[in-house]
Amino acid sequence: MNFDFSLFLRSIPVLAEGLQTTVALALPALILSALWAVPVVMGLLSPARPLVLLTRTYVEIVRNTPVLVQMFFLFFGSGMLGFPISGFMAGLIALVLQNGAYVAEIYRGGIRGVPQRQTEAGLALGLAPRAVFRIVVLPQALRKVIPPLSNQGVLIIKDTSLVAAIAVAEMTLQARMLADRTAAVFEIFLALALMYVALTAVFSGVMRLLERRLRIA
Amino acid sequence: MELLWVSLPLLGRGTLVTLMLASASVILATAIGVAGALIQLFAPAVLRWLIELYLYLVRGVPLLVLLFAMYYALPYAGIMVEPEVGGIVVIGAYFGAFMTEVFRAAVLAIPTSQWEAGRVIGLGTTRIMLDIIAPQALRIAGPPFINTCIMVVKGTSLVAIIGLADITYVGRQIVERTLAPFIIFGAVAFVYFVICYLLSRIGRRLEERLDHAQ
Repeated sequence: MNFDFSLFLRSIPVLAEGLQTTVALALPALILSALWAVPVVMGLLSPARPLVLLTRTYVEIVRNTPVLVQMFFLFFGSGMLGFPISGFMAGLIALVLQNGAYVAEIYRGGIRGVPQRQTEAGLALGLAPRAVFRIVVLPQALRKVIPPLSNQGVLIIKDTSLVAAIAVAEMTLQARMLADRTAAVFEIFLALALMYVALTAVFSGVMRLLERRLRIA
Repeated sequence: MELLWVSLPLLGRGTLVTLMLASASVILATAIGVAGALIQLFAPAVLRWLIELYLYLVRGVPLLVLLFAMYYALPYAGIMVEPEVGGIVVIGAYFGAFMTEVFRAAVLAIPTSQWEAGRVIGLGTTRIMLDIIAPQALRIAGPPFINTCIMVVKGTSLVAIIGLADITYVGRQIVERTLAPFIIFGAVAFVYFVICYLLSRIGRRLEERLDHAQ
């Protein structure tokens, strides 16, 4: 095997085209997962038993099946029903459904992690239960969930590569097509791997900054 | 319904491939994880950096990219292996990084007073590790270990993209021929669900036992 550095450099602009699609998929996937997890965690912590059961069932189903199978199900299934969605949409929906469940568990852990006596202290001060949650519990829980959210976010970014299997020309598919055309496999896949490392490093860096901003003293 | 009946033998064969890939990958990942954790905890700096680099790369690169790299690069490098073996090596190495974190965190969760107590009664590092730390650490590692196993089972579905005949691949082949995505992918998802749900029950049982012990 011999490594041609100029081919390595020349593959970068082609991959960068795919990078745009990767980012265009990863950003909404990250944001929507974080948002969708809010009603899910409300369902998990709800006092109404049927609602808890319903949310639990959803969480267990999506967490115990591969996101790739969910993508296939949505992509091929929607076509069958007569309103075909694009591979991009199928990927986005599957990523949000799956990761929303994981993020909801992260939120739940964060809320549970705030000691009970904080709630009791708030109630003793005469705050209403809602106000206790908003003023006392939530700010503390938010700080605790940032590191696990950052880990989950990295997994989301990496999982965007799976839409390559349903013909979305993101970075991994671009690399694969380029490898099929040029046979410069080492150069292309090294460039691809480094671009993912850079992308996830930027994301984790932003999350670390956020964590530092939210920290108290 | 009849379609599902006819597809059962194929889906069954795919399930066997998935189970085989998953169990072999779990074994490999666990071996890498234990070794990686021991190196990170005890080995000289150079080795620790190597493990650190490996963890960093795996954290940043998607499993699918590693599988493609293996699939495309090995023939060019003149290495001929069975695609199943290549898949197991890549999946095992990828989740080996997760396992390294699992075992390292478990050992670090044991209070240093346990080490000190061992020293005071005159035990060496190996004896302390084997007799005092490992039994407690393994119990702590149980639940995250099971979670990682679930990730491995789900992760094996990616081999369908490089053409290994696991259950996801078989499902897709059947769907392309029969145009019955709901029933077939529903069945595929059900198989994964059964495997992963059983694993998660075991994980929860381990977690409850751990709570009782503390």
